[in-house]
Order: sequence, then structure tokens, then C-alpha cells
Amino acid sequence: MKKISIYQIAAKNLLRKRTRSVLTIVGIGLSAWVLASLLGFNRGYDSALKKDIDNMGFQVLLTAKGCPYEAATLMLKGGTGLRYMSEDVIADILNQPEVEGVTPMLMQAVFDPERGESGAIDAYLGVDPATFPPMKAFLKFKQGGWFKDPDKHVAVLGYEAAELEQREVGDKLLIPDKNIELTVVGILERSGTQDDGTIFVPLRMLQKEFGQLGKLTAVGIKVERKADTAALENRLYDLPDVQVVSMAQVKNTIMGLVATAKVMVFSIAVIAILIAMVGVINTILMSVFERFREIGIMKSMGAMPLDVFRMIWTETVVLCLLGGALGLAMAYGLARVTDLLIRRLLPYAPTGSLVLIDGRLMLTTFAVVLGIGLVSGIYPAWRAARVRPLESIRGEGE
Amino acid sequence: MKKWSVAAILIGWGAMSMWAAVGCELNDPDRDVRRLFPASTGYRTIYASIAKKGGSALLQRVEQRLGDRFQGLFETADVPYTMYRVLRGQETIGYIHGVNQKGRYGGIQAFLAIDSQGRILAFYYQRLTNNDARPLRSAEFGRQFVGLDLGDFDRYDVVSGRAAPGSRIAAVRNPAPRAEDDYRSTLRSLKKNLILCDEFLLGNRFLEKETGE
Repeated sequence: MKKISIYQIAAKNLLRKRTRSVLTIVGIGLSAWVLASLLGFNRGYDSALKKDIDNMGFQVLLTAKGCPYEAATLMLKGGTGLRYMSEDVIADILNQPEVEGVTPMLMQAVFDPERGESGAIDAYLGVDPATFPPMKAFLKFKQGGWFKDPDKHVAVLGYEAAELEQREVGDKLLIPDKNIELTVVGILERSGTQDDGTIFVPLRMLQKEFGQLGKLTAVGIKVERKADTAALENRLYDLPDVQVVSMAQVKNTIMGLVATAKVMVFSIAVIAILIAMVGVINTILMSVFERFREIGIMKSMGAMPLDVFRMIWTETVVLCLLGGALGLAMAYGLARVTDLLIRRLLPYAPTGSLVLIDGRLMLTTFAVVLGIGLVSGIYPAWRAARVRPLESIRGEGE
Repeated sequence: MKKWSVAAILIGWGAMSMWAAVGCELNDPDRDVRRLFPASTGYRTIYASIAKKGGSALLQRVEQRLGDRFQGLFETADVPYTMYRVLRGQETIGYIHGVNQKGRYGGIQAFLAIDSQGRILAFYYQRLTNNDARPLRSAEFGRQFVGLDLGDFDRYDVVSGRAAPGSRIAAVRNPAPRAEDDYRSTLRSLKKNLILCDEFLLGNRFLEKETGE
């Protein structure tokens, strides 16, 4: 006589109520999808934000106290409020052991009456051709390249600035008000950073033309990879009349802004998992109740409580494994859609992929779903193992 | 100070991302539509691109009608054009459309208001960077184009800048001789603008006249 294993019985039982099994698997799959996507988002967002900040080329920015240090803020302030620090500050910064390199910058703004109907502010960022390009090595050129002569009347345009001005290499650019003609020598590719909207010119030329020789508005500081950035920042605060802008601080602020959204989506994930757990318990418990008599017969034929427990538990685990596999396939296949949905929710989203799903994350999710299955299956399996054969056969069971 | 600095960077990031627009849009559509069409009661914004409407075949046709190739990094088939259909009640009373054109020192944004038959009602610059070209911004210069349509540009060569003798374009005077290049760029942008309006808004009514069909 052929012996039937409890695993075969478990499989047959799942196939007996196909619709119910499929719906349970879909429920678990959706929960696994949400879980994997959110774990992927947690990693992806951090990684994308770090990349964005690394793409700024320096980890610490030193500016003259009260000085807006990038074009957009300058425009918001109507091109006013520039403050300057002396170039001598560079020697003080280079004395710090954590500093790998520095790049001095000068920003200047002019009013362009020919732009729009009531004029607008144009901002120019003077950079040092010797130190700025190596620090921004990730910037790629669509046309041309960096200027080399610090005194020449030339410019490199971020892609969007070039697009707005319809400029290409060899074209002229006018600094209005001053009537200074620049030749475009480079157009950057899109970088997804504020560099896209920047007009870069040689630092010394800008200092001379605007009468700001020896003056700077900002210094970018590249910190040694393993150095203690916080300690460096604290010492920089001691320098007179400067403010320190730490990119780590920027990152923390953005993470703080996003934290609320993260808590919200993680709460949704927890609720989804709880719903899935209840769904699994409900499905298995119903199946146990429907099979009281059958379980009683199995026991009267010699099945031990542990055998019944294992059988019911197996059903739960199989459901969770299939649901987990479905959810992971969805998470992997729909990562781009999830990325778009999350971007709509967030106050600030960095460039690059926001949802990073790799093998390790998939294994983690699978383990979590399996764990949920094992826990969810305990109660129904325990109830099934407690069935008294005679009472269940008589139909007096629960 | 720290908080201010961080906020400034965040605002900066946001503000910079707004530079992403590559088309040519009105600075203030509500105000500009009312100014150009005082009788209007509303407007609809239409987005179109050569790439989406007809791809390389349409690009070729537009270039042929213009008499010049699209040039450079930014004059391409996938430039998104923003067009404004101006309404009085349910009736279309005209259109507003601007194009980007390379100028001597920067991008020229030249806007046209046309009636539903394609005749120019108004022309003005939203953007023009060249001190020598200041006279081009004058109302007198803009008024020279009022009443013209694409048919008047038919025999205007945008490459050489020559208009057929006796044509209405030949009668247009450049008030800024020292900005001849920006003047020519302006006329090229006007012809291109009218061709795009004909292709996207007027059902190619002038194409039939051009080909004599």
C-alpha cells in the first residue's frame, strides 16, 4: 500500500481550495512587494543622496558670513547681499590636516535690463582653472572643455544655462552692465545638479573686471576620505567672519525632511504586513475548521499531533513562499514605477534610482515573509493538533 | 546661520531645477494673453514637438519651408513648443507662440500673436541680449510686421537675409544696423515661428499656397 506523506496532503489541500489559496498568495505577494520596495527605497534614497552630495565635489563650503553662495539664492535676494572674504583664508584652511584640497570661488551678479520685460539678474561663478576642474572631475563636456588661462575672457556653461542662452562653443556671451564680451569654450553635459544652470568664468578675470582682486565669496573644501569632518568644521568656525556649510549637514537636513514621509510609508508597510498575516491565519484557520472531521480520522489512523501540526504549518509556509516569490518578482519588475510613485510623495528627491533592489535585499525580504508565514501558521496548526479524534468524527468538535 | 545656509542650499537646488524648461513660454501667460488679446476670455495651452507630430519627415518639411537646416545643440526636432490658443467664449480668436533663436550674445525669444487666419497681430521680444540691438525692441520695429503672414515670408531667404524686391519683407527696415546679425536672426525666428504655427495650429493652410496646390 502506498504511503501518503503529510506534505502531499498539505499540497492537495491547498489545491482543493484554489481560489482561496490564490487570493492569499496575492495578498502575501502585495505585502512582500511593498516591503521589498520600501527596503529598496531606504537604501536607494541614501545612496542617491550621497551621490548627489559627492557630485558637489567638496564636502565643506566656506563662505563669507551672510553671503549667499550659489546663484539661485543670489537671484532670490535680487542680486544683492554679496559679502567677501580675503583670499588669505586659503592658507588657514590648507593648514588643517584633514584638508585634501581647496578651490576658491567668487560669485558676481549683474542686472540685465534686456532680459524679460523688467530685466533679471545674471550670476557668474569665478572658479580657479587649476583646482576647480579636478574637484569636479565627474562633470562631462557636451562640447569643448575647461578654460586654462585664469585671465582670459572665456566661459563654460552648464547645459541648462547654455540652452537658455542658446550658446555653443565659439559663441559670444555678454556680461551686461559691464559690457564685457566672453567667448564660450565649453558646454557641460547635464549633471542633475545646480552646475547645470551655472555660468563658470575664470576667477582672476572676474576679480579684475569687477574690482574684487584678492576677494572671494566661497571656498570649496575637499576633506580626506577618512578624516573627521566634524572636527574640521568646528575649527573652521573659529575663523573670523566666515560661515561653514557642511554637505553632511545638508544631507541630514534633507533626511530629516524625508523622515516624515519615510515613517508614513513604513507605517503603510507594517499595516500591509499585518493584513497579510491576518489573511494567512484566516485562510489556514478556515481550512482547519473545514477539515476537523478529516483531521480526526487522520489522528484515529495513527497521525500524531506533531504530524498534524507540521502538515498545517507546511501549508502556511508554502503559501508564504509562493506569495513572497510573487512579491519579489513584482518589486524587481516594477522598481521604476515604484520610483516614480515615491518621487511624487517626497519633498525632495535626489537624482538617480531611488529604489535599489539587489540579491541581499531580496533574500532579507524573503526571510521576513517566511518568518511571517511561520509565525502566522503556529496558531492554526496548534488548533489542528489539539483536535480530539472521536469528538471531531462525531461532529461535536468546534 | 547654519539653518539659513542649509535652507538656502535646498532652495537653490529647487530653484535650479526650474531652469529645466527648454521651450519658449510666456513669462506670465495670464497677463500676456490679456495684453495681446484684450477681447479674450481665456486661453488653452497646447504642447507640440516636431519629433512627436511627424518625426524626421516633418523636420525635413519644416526645414524645406524655412530654407535652412535646424542648427546646433538646441535647435532640434524634440524641442517642445508651447502654443497658446486664445479664446473668446468658445471661439478661437488667435494664437500666441514664441521660439528660441540663437542671437549674437544669447538666446532670442521672439513672440508672435496671430489671428485665426495666421496674420500677425503683434510681435515682441521676451528676451534679447545685445545693447546694440536695443532699437529692435521698439514698438515701431514690431509694428512693421503687423498684418503680415507666412505668405509674405515665402520668398525671404533666411540664410542670405535677402527678400524678394518689392515684397512686404523687403520693406521692413532694420533700426539697429550695428545688430544686423540679431535682426536677421529675428526674421529667421519669425519665419520659423509662422511655419510652426501653420503646421501645428492652422492645418497647413499656407503649405498649399507654397506648393501651388
